[in-house]
Amino acid sequence: MRTGTFVRVAVVALAMTFAASMASAQALSSGAQTIALNATLAESLTLSLSANAVNFTLSAGSAANPGSTGVTATTAWTLKPGRTAVAVYAYFASTTALTDGVGDNIPSSAFKISDNGGASTALTNTVAFGAANAGLQLGASTAITGANKTGSRSDAMTFNIDLTGGTLPQLPAAVYTGTLNIQAQATP
Amino acid sequence: MKSRPQIGGRLAAVALVAIVLAAGAHAQVLNSGASTIALNAVLNDSITVSLSSNAVNFTLTAGSGSNPGSTGVTATTTWLLRPNVASLKLYAFFSSSTSALTDGAGNNIPSADFQISNNAGPLNALTNTVPFGGANAGLQLSSTPILGNNKSGTRTDNMNFNINLVPLPSLPAGVYTGTLTIQAQAI
Repeated sequence: MRTGTFVRVAVVALAMTFAASMASAQALSSGAQTIALNATLAESLTLSLSANAVNFTLSAGSAANPGSTGVTATTAWTLKPGRTAVAVYAYFASTTALTDGVGDNIPSSAFKISDNGGASTALTNTVAFGAANAGLQLGASTAITGANKTGSRSDAMTFNIDLTGGTLPQLPAAVYTGTLNIQAQATP
Repeated sequence: MKSRPQIGGRLAAVALVAIVLAAGAHAQVLNSGASTIALNAVLNDSITVSLSSNAVNFTLTAGSGSNPGSTGVTATTTWLLRPNVASLKLYAFFSSSTSALTDGAGNNIPSADFQISNNAGPLNALTNTVPFGGANAGLQLSSTPILGNNKSGTRTDNMNFNINLVPLPSLPAGVYTGTLTIQAQAI
């Protein structure tokens, strides 16, 4: 009898101890406090040039009057979703590309650019910038996908002035100056 | 035959005894039964976390590993705990590991690229599974052993934030928003 009672008491005590340990093992948590996060990645499109001046020593009536140096345009971008292409353009503000200031001009059709070793092409197209028939898209557009929302491209340009067309073989001796613009555009 | 003086003396003696007995009866203490009042005092256990600020902004640079938050945030944790609590831990977490911040158009910054430096320690990404939040979307900020002398206590955790865009070189421009949650647990 006494042994049975002792066993019962021991079992009850063990159960109470287990219950107490289970109760104490329950986690107590604080309330959740939140921090609102706002991160802005601004859209950007930049273009830099390796040089900002090119000289030409012209030979009257010659088709080959290369520039003194090539120029590399480096275009870098971080774009929003929805942009599908980046294109780089060279253009003049007028089809008069270079002038001596006294009415003698070299038209944009006589000014040629070879982009990344490609064919030398005159600036005779109407592009996104500049005057009508005074531009050229450099190379192909860069397609923007999910993999290059942030990216860059390089366009290595070499220049030439072709003095064989029209009245250019009679172009008078003079200093001809002009400004070629290089600009990139992301679309749409 | 007894004389009248004898009878008077006996009556006087009886009266005296009666008076003495009556006085003795008045001297005994009379107690009521004991009535009890059950007392129950509850000191609830509690943990609270308060934050010095509830908003952090980031100006991101594409592809950069260093995009610090505009401000640090201090979490102050105060507790009152029962015996048998071993430790108090503070956690930071997101509800999802894949989209800690999002532009809402499918472009996300995962929790693996969100980093916290706690109390000037190293920057750590939120890549662990903690008691709260999404799997692989949390970070334990601190652990305080609970001993006999700090069942009640407080601690501060000074957090600084960074977004690492090195693994996300093609993240498009946009405004990315998210909610970081701070929560403590005693166990």
